[in-house]
Amino acid sequence: MPCSLRQGMFFEPNILQVSHVFSVFYSGSATLPKVEGTNITGIEEVVIPRKKTWDKVAVLQALASTVSRDPTAAPYAFQDDPYLIPASSMESRLFLLAKKSGENAAKFIINLHPKYFQKDIAEPHIPCLMPEYFEPQIEDISEAALKERIKLKKVKASVDMFDQLLQAGTTVSLETSNSLLDLLCYYGDREPSTDNHFQQSGKSEELVKDTGENDKKSKKADDQFGVTWRAKNNAERIFALIPEKNSYSYCTMIRGMVKHRALVQALNLYAELLNNRLKADVYTFNALIEATALNMNEKSEDKWNNILELLKQMAAQKVKPNLQTFNTILKCLRRFQAFGRLPALQTFREMKAIGIGEYVSWCPSLEGTTDKTSLLSHSAENPSKGSSRIIYDIMNEITGQKFTPKDPDDDMFFQSAMRVCSFLRDLELAYQVHGLLNTGDNWKFIGPDHRRNFYYSKFFSLLCLMEQIDVTLKWYKDLVPSVFFPRSQTLIDLLQALDVANRLEVIPQIWKDSKEYGHTFRSDLKEEILMLMARDQHPPELQVAFADCAADIKSTYESQDARQTAPDWPANSLNCIAVLFLRAGRTQEAWKMLGLFRKHNKIPGNKLLNEFMDSAKASNSPAQAIEVVKLAGAFSLPICEGLTQRVMADFAISQEQKEALGNLTSLTSDSDSDSDSDISEGI
Amino acid sequence: MLCQRKTKNNVQRYFGTNNTICSKKDEQPASMHEISKETESQESVKENTKKDLLGIIKGMKIELSTVNVQTTKPSSTRQLKSVEATINKLQKAPGDAPKKRTKSLSPELVAAASAIADFLPFDKQTTKSELLRQLQQHEEVSKAQKNGGRAKISVSNIISDMKVAKSATIRVSTRPVHQIQFDEGSDDYMSQKTSDVKKSLRKNMLKGKRLNIFDLKAVTEETSETETTPSLWDIEFAKQLAAVNEQPLQNGFAEMIQWTKDGKLWEFPINNEAGFDDEGSEFHEHIFLDIHLKDFPKQGPIRHFMELVTCGLSKNPYLSVKQKIEHIEWFRNYFNEKQDILKENGIEFN
Repeated sequence: MPCSLRQGMFFEPNILQVSHVFSVFYSGSATLPKVEGTNITGIEEVVIPRKKTWDKVAVLQALASTVSRDPTAAPYAFQDDPYLIPASSMESRLFLLAKKSGENAAKFIINLHPKYFQKDIAEPHIPCLMPEYFEPQIEDISEAALKERIKLKKVKASVDMFDQLLQAGTTVSLETSNSLLDLLCYYGDREPSTDNHFQQSGKSEELVKDTGENDKKSKKADDQFGVTWRAKNNAERIFALIPEKNSYSYCTMIRGMVKHRALVQALNLYAELLNNRLKADVYTFNALIEATALNMNEKSEDKWNNILELLKQMAAQKVKPNLQTFNTILKCLRRFQAFGRLPALQTFREMKAIGIGEYVSWCPSLEGTTDKTSLLSHSAENPSKGSSRIIYDIMNEITGQKFTPKDPDDDMFFQSAMRVCSFLRDLELAYQVHGLLNTGDNWKFIGPDHRRNFYYSKFFSLLCLMEQIDVTLKWYKDLVPSVFFPRSQTLIDLLQALDVANRLEVIPQIWKDSKEYGHTFRSDLKEEILMLMARDQHPPELQVAFADCAADIKSTYESQDARQTAPDWPANSLNCIAVLFLRAGRTQEAWKMLGLFRKHNKIPGNKLLNEFMDSAKASNSPAQAIEVVKLAGAFSLPICEGLTQRVMADFAISQEQKEALGNLTSLTSDSDSDSDSDISEGI
Repeated sequence: MLCQRKTKNNVQRYFGTNNTICSKKDEQPASMHEISKETESQESVKENTKKDLLGIIKGMKIELSTVNVQTTKPSSTRQLKSVEATINKLQKAPGDAPKKRTKSLSPELVAAASAIADFLPFDKQTTKSELLRQLQQHEEVSKAQKNGGRAKISVSNIISDMKVAKSATIRVSTRPVHQIQFDEGSDDYMSQKTSDVKKSLRKNMLKGKRLNIFDLKAVTEETSETETTPSLWDIEFAKQLAAVNEQPLQNGFAEMIQWTKDGKLWEFPINNEAGFDDEGSEFHEHIFLDIHLKDFPKQGPIRHFMELVTCGLSKNPYLSVKQKIEHIEWFRNYFNEKQDILKENGIEFN
């Protein structure tokens, strides 16, 4: 990379100027022109162009902004081998997990055997491809070694090093002691449960060395409930050993205690801190608020008064509250159930009044919103409270804003907002929320897969319920499957919307889609589809399409038979399929369906039998008609008699057949009472 | 929904200001005396009331399809409730507007207008004619809006400008209310209730009594905090935050951005400076090194030599500016150390 190249690349037009400068140089003038071009007599002002600095991702960002979502394609993350593109939410989950665990496994192997991965082929060097060192490099006993162990988050090794240093008589500086306390308090005096990379691959146990059998057991329990704070643990011991504790030492201890649910100790330590005339920082106050709220033995009202007391202390000590302060309060108030409502509102207003977040934008109160909406949607079951209504105010405030993450619960917002919309049945609001989601990079806040699915399912169900069918179908095309895979309930909602709008011709397409998205064996969905198709008479072309669809559904029932030991053929479905076949003129298959009724011992509906009779009449086949009567007779249906009369009237039948019919009717007339209830299930 | 979304804010505000009257009405529909009193007071704030009314009517959503007017959908029923509650206290207006104006309007619209008139519990002819007159007047406007926004004609937009004539004496008829309530079925109570609550909360949700613990000044006041290295707590919190909006990548460029940030990809713009750290120095600093020769003699063999050195350095792409200057410094020191020899040979240095 010669300099001349470097200059030539970006300053082409200025080469003339440069050579001019050269000539100035060599003409023997004593002082050189500065970059700014200080005027020397007789020399023109030369402005040397500044070097342009490019952001390394600016070009890519510009390019990326030109690419919009393709509703006909799978999301980019799934674009790999076409065979592997997932077609249901289950598959997509598997896909992502498989991809991630592959990466994790590779990383794990590299870090486990760094010596085999030393070859550095990249020029310039790429650090992230090289193995990371998790083992401490400094062997001797010194404060530097302690610092290294703290940095590598080796809890036990750090404690040992600290003890050895003390035994050797070396004093550890307050700063290092405090960072050791940080480590101990954050992880509750346990080894951190390894890096996130390994958590999913399930290898974490192997990585943790020096953990006894007992530790392992408790570790599993801790994963669920968080590590509990043990009395007289290393953190407390080292805290006692520090000769000159400053407020930071106290603060980190309090935070650690609250994190690991040693609430009473935390509050006591705060009293001790005050006695030592030290000041707590805002994070500690946040922790204390949490401790107060979690304290089991008090009533909600007392807890709230204690929280207020803490806030007043903050104000007195001139500690500025931050967003987490208020979010902690709101989260705690959520636990207070009904009592928490008014305080929550007041807190929210306080937050707004002192402008937490307002001067940047409203995004920080997004979290407040989150808590608020979920708080309110908890009580949403009871509409008389109408508390979900705050969403309107919040939406008015934040519409059109772009969010940046400020709180770990930020990704809850859209889910909660859409749930409230769905509860309120307010499509306008849902559109507003959806608009907000598509503002800037806000879509990133939709959260993990299941939250996205929840959000879009609710949104789409609301569309099915309230929107015109054409618009709904447009959304359907846009969202499914490139954004989310519908659940069977979502599809049933869509079917009902189609029914309401009298657009049943779309149903075969919906069935195709639902097969695609893994709902082949959802009997509620299949029954809904069949019921809608069979309910009314349709024009012939549509009946043909419906019959194809019905044949397809029938085949899924048949393959289901192979899968399961107990075959499940709902009578409704049998009825519907047979009717659809009949109406489409596929008489052969329809008659076969009658055999299925017998095989699975299901009762055919009256309407179906009548239709069969019509069909038999149309083909002028008395044998078929008698077959129908026989079937009805076999199930002892009361309609049998009517059918017999119809056969007698409509068909030219032989004497033999007449006698057979006579027998049938006499058989059924005795026992038709017990089949009454069954018939009502038919069409 | 056909309702124009841009009027939404207004609608909500009007709901807010009008709510007390509405809810009172709902509670005591039979108390004629009180209502007429209230109307008297309304006369004094006639302008405001009219505005409120307009707002409410604006909020009314009516689904227009080519065949019929549907009001069965929940949102429209909910909105209709409030309209009906307000209109309830209005008097039948006398007079009948001529129908000839309707000729430029499409028959569908006329049908829709009469359908709306059917819903409103006062003189149907009046309402209809009012509607149609407004349709006429705002035909241009709605055309423009139709072109600009949604393809279908928005009835709510049209009736948003509808005025309902009000006579001096007020008579309240409760019959239509019950009729409509009956029609709307069982969910009516709930929707009415929630819309009432919505209105009452509209006022005080974000404004009202606060904790009054913190002072705005004290909080916004800038205090120069001493910069400390982030603690483990800060780092872990930052990690949590970063995980919040982590999403699968949307396109290939986004992936390249990710790789660039990881350091796996050659950085844009692609040039020969990748991995070369020269602390943002500019090209002239690399090339014009004579500036560093000030302390050297103006002429003579040392000058000549140093000019050759700077010439060579200026062509060397592998050294940073700092290294180049260090190189020149080295020669300065070298010649300084060799002063004796230089003097012996009669060469000036300084």
